[in-house]
Amino acid sequence: MDVLFKSAAVLISIFLLLFCNAIPSVAYSSSSTMHTNNWAVLVCTSRFWFNYRHMANTLSLYRTVKRLGIPDERIILMLADDMACNARNKYPAQVFNNENHRLNLYGDNVEVDYRGYEVTVENFMRVLTGRHETAVPRSKRLLSDEGSHILLYMTGHGGDEFLKFQDSEELQSHDLADAVKQMKEKRRFKELLIMVDTCQAATLFSQLQSPGVLAIGSSMKGENSYSHHLDSDVGVSVVDRFTFYTLAYFERLNMYDNASLSSLFNSYNPNLLMSTAYYRTDLYGRQLEEVPVTNFFGSVMETIHTDSPYRAFSGKYSKIEIPLDQSDEVKQRRLKSSDVPQELTGSNITDKHVTCPVTRTWNAILGRIGMMKELDSLVNYGLILMFLIATGSSWFSS
Amino acid sequence: MEEKTRNKINETKLGFWKWAIGSVIFRLILIYFPKNFNLSSRPEVSTPVTSLRRLAEGYWLKQLSMSPYAGSMYHGSPLLLSVLGPLTAIKIEGQPNHLLCSLVSVIADFICALLIRATGRILQTAHGQNLKSLGLDTMLEDIEILPSGDIAALVYLWNPFTIFTCVGYNTSPVENLFAVLSLYGASSGIVPLAAFGWVIASHLSLYPVVLVIPVILLLGYCPDMPPRKLFLQRNLQKTGDERSTKSHIQHRPLTNKPAEATFFWWRVILFFLWASIWIAYVLILSAISVKEYGGLPEMFKRTYGFILTVKDLSPNIGVLWYFFAEVFDFFRNFFLIVFHVNILFMLLPLAIRLNHRPCFLAFVYLAISSMLKSYPSVGDSALYLGLMALFVNELADMQFSFFLFCGYVGVSLLSPVMHNLWIWRGTGNANFYFATAMAYACFQVCFQFFLEITQTDIIESNHRELSERGKTVTPNASTKCTQITRSNIVGNFISS
Repeated sequence: MDVLFKSAAVLISIFLLLFCNAIPSVAYSSSSTMHTNNWAVLVCTSRFWFNYRHMANTLSLYRTVKRLGIPDERIILMLADDMACNARNKYPAQVFNNENHRLNLYGDNVEVDYRGYEVTVENFMRVLTGRHETAVPRSKRLLSDEGSHILLYMTGHGGDEFLKFQDSEELQSHDLADAVKQMKEKRRFKELLIMVDTCQAATLFSQLQSPGVLAIGSSMKGENSYSHHLDSDVGVSVVDRFTFYTLAYFERLNMYDNASLSSLFNSYNPNLLMSTAYYRTDLYGRQLEEVPVTNFFGSVMETIHTDSPYRAFSGKYSKIEIPLDQSDEVKQRRLKSSDVPQELTGSNITDKHVTCPVTRTWNAILGRIGMMKELDSLVNYGLILMFLIATGSSWFSS
Repeated sequence: MEEKTRNKINETKLGFWKWAIGSVIFRLILIYFPKNFNLSSRPEVSTPVTSLRRLAEGYWLKQLSMSPYAGSMYHGSPLLLSVLGPLTAIKIEGQPNHLLCSLVSVIADFICALLIRATGRILQTAHGQNLKSLGLDTMLEDIEILPSGDIAALVYLWNPFTIFTCVGYNTSPVENLFAVLSLYGASSGIVPLAAFGWVIASHLSLYPVVLVIPVILLLGYCPDMPPRKLFLQRNLQKTGDERSTKSHIQHRPLTNKPAEATFFWWRVILFFLWASIWIAYVLILSAISVKEYGGLPEMFKRTYGFILTVKDLSPNIGVLWYFFAEVFDFFRNFFLIVFHVNILFMLLPLAIRLNHRPCFLAFVYLAISSMLKSYPSVGDSALYLGLMALFVNELADMQFSFFLFCGYVGVSLLSPVMHNLWIWRGTGNANFYFATAMAYACFQVCFQFFLEITQTDIIESNHRELSERGKTVTPNASTKCTQITRSNIVGNFISS
């Protein structure tokens, strides 16, 4: 009868545990996110035939970014006018960025997401902030998550604290700063590189305050950005200086090079550019020498082999374990946890106000169980124990 | 006399092991055939709830840290996933891929056969003791009593349905094993084992829940106590001898207590206690297992909910798929209730009628549930056909047995043909295949019907025997349940 009472007591306690809870999830919180993917938003804001070079700028960046690994589904290409099929284009369906016509930028697989009159300030802001109407297709949305690195390249005509769109409206610097702030708040990027190739470009990002943003402009306040050369065959200037030298830098690279951003930024010669390429790193926490260019311009990520299953990125923060035995060359490519303070709003879900002690202990047990990485082995031990108890009890009571 | 019976028993014992090992070897040979003759893709053999391919898919999903129930492929228990899942993934060089799981099926079949044999032995011993207490032990010497346990085990092992199920890469052998384990535990009086078998069997597939009634009856009474009417009649004879007037022959309350079948309530309570322990244990383990994928409600929805709501309408050898493919949504719930109550409402009358023969009651329940369950397969019929042979002594004079046998053979041959005609050649349609399914259900119903007619015949014949003999019998001291000692269990398992 003792056995009976003991087993009844065990039973009752088990039932209490079972009924006094709804198994809550234990939230993890940590300070760093994992780099998940790279996005590129390439915007050409000017129309008309004589702004051919802005189109060529954007298409050159598009080609570079695609060549270095970012797929079309993660590129948002906004072209305000159609130069390739313009009536004044002597080479129909071809866009060049050099007078030697070696590269046709408008090849077979160019996916333009926003074309013509769809390139407006409103659409641009919608793309950045993600506030679209429901009918907007996925290809037109910036579907980044909190681990994305985004390259934002804008070219066109600009001025002091503004960028001209379509010759009829303008994007102001504080609009851009607002949009970036919204993006940060909604956790739509981990790092953002803004590259602007317009006159007085550096003023466009003067109002930015969000952490994790790196910005470079082709000229400072009061300076103009100039085109590189005129193609007498096409009849217009085909490329801007800043973009020309950027491309000159990238044409030497392939996907697996780990040239750093500082080498890119230092490659701009003010004499050649005829303006000062100004960049701002105060919001960007990392050292530029350690950041590879493919952090933004390409899409190569270091793979770390683990044996345990990959926990899909589902809103929980997790720290990846970096193997310690890495050589110095690879140090540049090592994924580091970002030191940027993340503004986590209400991410801590653990409820401290549970009054029922049974639920609290159950939560604690579950938390400890959840910490265990090997739930499967626990279940296996449980099964073995079950069979042992079954055989033991049946042997005993026969 | 005794020597002759002992020799006979020895012969059949040797015969049993020869045939049992032979069946295991036969299965092992069949496993090595390429791709199991494609038996695993036959709808008669593997159903959405028993297919091991789906279990492998569920295991793979779990390895990718997704819910094993995603995509509506796997619908079984997460514990089975932890046990059999790694076996589906291990591939040994040079052997067929499915080797380990098929070995598990073979072992499960073998253990199931041994358990059936042991149960048959217990039943026979109990039956013999009961006959002796009734004073009909001379019957034992007159007629040849077949060792029903051995025969049932051999029937189970060599039944083509069982072999198809074993080779056909599914989990039915394991489910059958636990159902038989609960019956064995109940008939030998080992309460924790009976509770364990019952809980696991109903956890793996929902329908063995109905076995709770025969298990309680087996634990409460002894296995196969003769009906009270026989004891009453015997007492009547005794009193009838003393007084010859007919008016005094009435159904008096039983004067001598020992003749009354005692119901051991404490064993039933202990059974429920153990069952609740096992249920809690299994639920906790399952909850831990599926914690990250939606927890227990998700598991219930995907396993039992799937079985009860018949979401998958792919053709099988049952009758529900065809009906639910054409029923209107408005009536779907109603007909779901009708089909499931169809099983439930038969439980009580059968329990009342057959409460003195709990093993037979268990067999009838298993047969009904395998006919009317939502995803039947030949594995379910393998189970009840094996259990049927436990009662072979009583079924010796069953009518129309040849007709039923031909019916089973015909259906099992025609069903793949109709399936081929419908699906692969396109010269037939669903009605062809459903016709064989209906014929199969009809044959099963007829089988049950004739079985039960035979049972009532046996009861009538027992009554007739008593009145013919007209013996005055002295009642035994007390009819207690056969005390199964530890050595006896071992003896039941291994022939001595």
